[in-house]
Amino acid sequence: MTGTVSRRGFNLCLGSGLTSALAAGYSRRAHAAETITVLNWQGYGTDEPWALKLFAEQTGITVRHDYFNSEPEMQTKLRTNPGAYDVVLINSARTRSIAEEGLIDPIALDAVPNAKDLVPSLRDHANLTQGATHFGVSWLWGMNSLAVRQGKVIGADSFAVLSDPAWRNRAALFDDAVTEIGVGALLTGQDINAPKDLNAIAASLKAMKPNVKLVWSSESEFDKAFAAGAFDVAIYWSGASARAQTRYHLPIEFIVPKEGAIGWLDTLCIPAAAKHKAAGLTFINFLIGPQFYLQWAESAGAAASANGAAMAQLPADNAIRTIHKPEYLDKLQFMSMLPDDRRQAFVDLWSEVKAFYAT
Amino acid sequence: MTALGRIWLALLLGFLYLPVIVLVVMAFNASPLYALPFVFSLRWFAALPTDEAILAATRNSVLIAVVTCVLATSIGTLAALALSRNTFRGRTVLQLLLLPPIAIPWLIIGTAMLVFFYWSGIGRGLHSMIIGHVALAIPYVVLVIGPGLHSLPENVEDAAKSLGSTPLHAFFAVTLPLLAPSVAAAALFAFAVSLDQFVISYFLSEPGVTTLPVQIYGAIRSGFTPEINAISTVLLGASLLLLLLFARLADFGGFIGRR
Amino acid sequence: MPPDGQTRSRLPPPSLATAGLLAPAYLWMTIAVFLPLAAMLYFSLLTRAPFGNRPAAFTLENYLAFVRRPYLLRVAWTSISLGLWTTGLCALLGWPAALALARTVGGRARGALFLLIVLPFWTNGLVRIFSWTMVLSEGGLLDQAVRLAFPGLRPGEILYSYPAIVIGLVHAYLPYMVLTSYVSIASINPAIIEAAQSLGARVPVLFATVLLPLSLPGLLSGAVLIFVPVLGSFMEPRILGGRVGVTMGTVIEDQFTQAFNWPLGAALSFTMLALVLAMFALLAAAMRLRTAP
Repeated sequence: MTGTVSRRGFNLCLGSGLTSALAAGYSRRAHAAETITVLNWQGYGTDEPWALKLFAEQTGITVRHDYFNSEPEMQTKLRTNPGAYDVVLINSARTRSIAEEGLIDPIALDAVPNAKDLVPSLRDHANLTQGATHFGVSWLWGMNSLAVRQGKVIGADSFAVLSDPAWRNRAALFDDAVTEIGVGALLTGQDINAPKDLNAIAASLKAMKPNVKLVWSSESEFDKAFAAGAFDVAIYWSGASARAQTRYHLPIEFIVPKEGAIGWLDTLCIPAAAKHKAAGLTFINFLIGPQFYLQWAESAGAAASANGAAMAQLPADNAIRTIHKPEYLDKLQFMSMLPDDRRQAFVDLWSEVKAFYAT
Repeated sequence: MTALGRIWLALLLGFLYLPVIVLVVMAFNASPLYALPFVFSLRWFAALPTDEAILAATRNSVLIAVVTCVLATSIGTLAALALSRNTFRGRTVLQLLLLPPIAIPWLIIGTAMLVFFYWSGIGRGLHSMIIGHVALAIPYVVLVIGPGLHSLPENVEDAAKSLGSTPLHAFFAVTLPLLAPSVAAAALFAFAVSLDQFVISYFLSEPGVTTLPVQIYGAIRSGFTPEINAISTVLLGASLLLLLLFARLADFGGFIGRR
Repeated sequence: MPPDGQTRSRLPPPSLATAGLLAPAYLWMTIAVFLPLAAMLYFSLLTRAPFGNRPAAFTLENYLAFVRRPYLLRVAWTSISLGLWTTGLCALLGWPAALALARTVGGRARGALFLLIVLPFWTNGLVRIFSWTMVLSEGGLLDQAVRLAFPGLRPGEILYSYPAIVIGLVHAYLPYMVLTSYVSIASINPAIIEAAQSLGARVPVLFATVLLPLSLPGLLSGAVLIFVPVLGSFMEPRILGGRVGVTMGTVIEDQFTQAFNWPLGAALSFTMLALVLAMFALLAAAMRLRTAP
């Protein structure tokens, strides 16, 4: 890794301006032999082996990973391991509260060249900005909404299908308080982030009891149960639906009903105590660029990119593109920051609903 | 009577091995979604040698399990001896203290360890995982050896001593062999508890250093394929070979029971 | 050696040797388990996890969880009944198996069987549970097998139900009971059994008056090793129970993985722990009364 110039040769070059050029080359190589640590969900793009290889070839930076299985866990890891991570994935619903805790740095978007291609409404979303300061770079967006068995469930256009007696014992719900309260809020015409009438939401969720067969908590669980024919209507993620179609050829159809759907936006952020911030930003730039996204979308199936230019380059019949129509961006209610007591109220309510389903 | 007993054992083994057989069979099924009909394929086994993550995780798991087994069994046996032999003030409290590690959901203990190890500087890594695994295995060891000790005639050791043996020699030559079945059972337990422990490993592992159950748990989120079944089958096969070898070399039947 | 049955105040403190035997185990557990749990206990008395720049105040609210959220009582009962069913079935199935292992099989075969019983334990628990879903689901292996054997019978789906959870739990914990019972039974002095038989005791009497009482320590040990963790289990209920799988374990997990409410999760766990400790303290007292001379 060190230069091949011998010491005597080096001394000879000292006088000449050659050394400055050599020194510049040497320091770039030394800088480039960096390792950064990324904190993310497992299997969510940043750890694709081909991508890491490509990135290492282009920049000399090696990427290691640590994973979390829930957002509170991501917060715990950030809090108890200062300096351990250089890039962290944060759901935009939590970006601002984590920024307020001082755990992540503001990001100057001019240091991220690919950011200019991000869809403006996503790039500057209120969830991740404070005035003109960005605390994260928008990376992927998706929706939590209805997914139904193609060919068997026809004409479903509302979340009410989840309590329709025709689908008794044939429904699966997502085990996530924020999402399910959101579904209830959409059904009762409320704001998913600040619903006024939790009782109405509780009632609409409890009404689904005869239909609910299981409550799933991972994509893997959903896909396997769906393939085994356990249920016909469900709440699912848009990206996962795309993956289920392309990878496993499952007869699944993703629907944004008339009540709208729940949107989420994932952002890439730089922890405040990170040791390799510049390298982290380089990786983020790589991730939001079309070169990474297009290959990832083709090979693994991903969620929708916040990079409009990249999305436009997907083939027109690609499942991700057909599901994540840009016009949905205005129909969606995005998950946003929740004060602790409201989040706890949601978790309590969902806990109670699940206990009700169990009786 | 004997026939009845053997039939019962056979049925029990059938029940115990039902999901294991499914596990092994599905390792040879082509569908990544575990969907039937069954199509024979070796693709998941073929994927193993190149999956560095799973191999490293397996190596760590086995290493930690062996270390845990040795440590937990030895210090657990000592504690079990003390608890069952003598009555002393505070004995009941000490016995009750064995319960929290198995009563409190491992999620809580894991989080508690994470926080405490961070504050105390112990940190995360292989060493912390071992500390955690041993601590959780000790109650199992004590609770498994306990009943064996209970029926141990106490005066056997005294008899040996009265015949001129030193206490230490009496322990090793008399008590320990009589305890052998219990200690063996406890050791097997400790190994199993550690091998399958994912919550503690999950919380205490460093980025990049992980164990097999943690890999599997993470994979459940991101999509686990029958590759998991393949590695489990390999591990199972290796364990079976090891145990059968052991059973052949040692007269394990005599080792674990007097008859 | 001091005789049993002495009143507690006259019990001697542990001798140096005893303390030396106990020290490694309990010191280890103190550093790795008790101190961290003490930190959790402290958390459970706060309003929120003490991270970040928002202050946390003291409160007993979390310990009133069962009062504030009455549905938790039913969830707690689910956990307790799962514990009782699992322990009971494990005892019913495991004790006779241990007896059979100790008395009807000899030599090498016994060793091999012993190890075979432990072997499933060495496969990953999650994958085993998942294998059960394949057996129990509609169209799964059990369903197909029954339909093959009894065409016309449609057993339907066992998966996503309470019995499915019990099956999964019993399967996971059965080896504990078999092993602890075996350890107890194997150390019964054969002379006692022979004596009873020579006095003309028939099999049921033998069981009731000799085998069962003398192997009680093993049964109790197994019961502890099974009942206690089952109370806090969440994997089997989640995966096998479908919408029915709501237990204290899943509720506590939700506090950690959905809300960032460590205080509530910790308080619920410690409440359960207190319940378990109380039960066993009572049991220990009852045992001491029974065995007092």
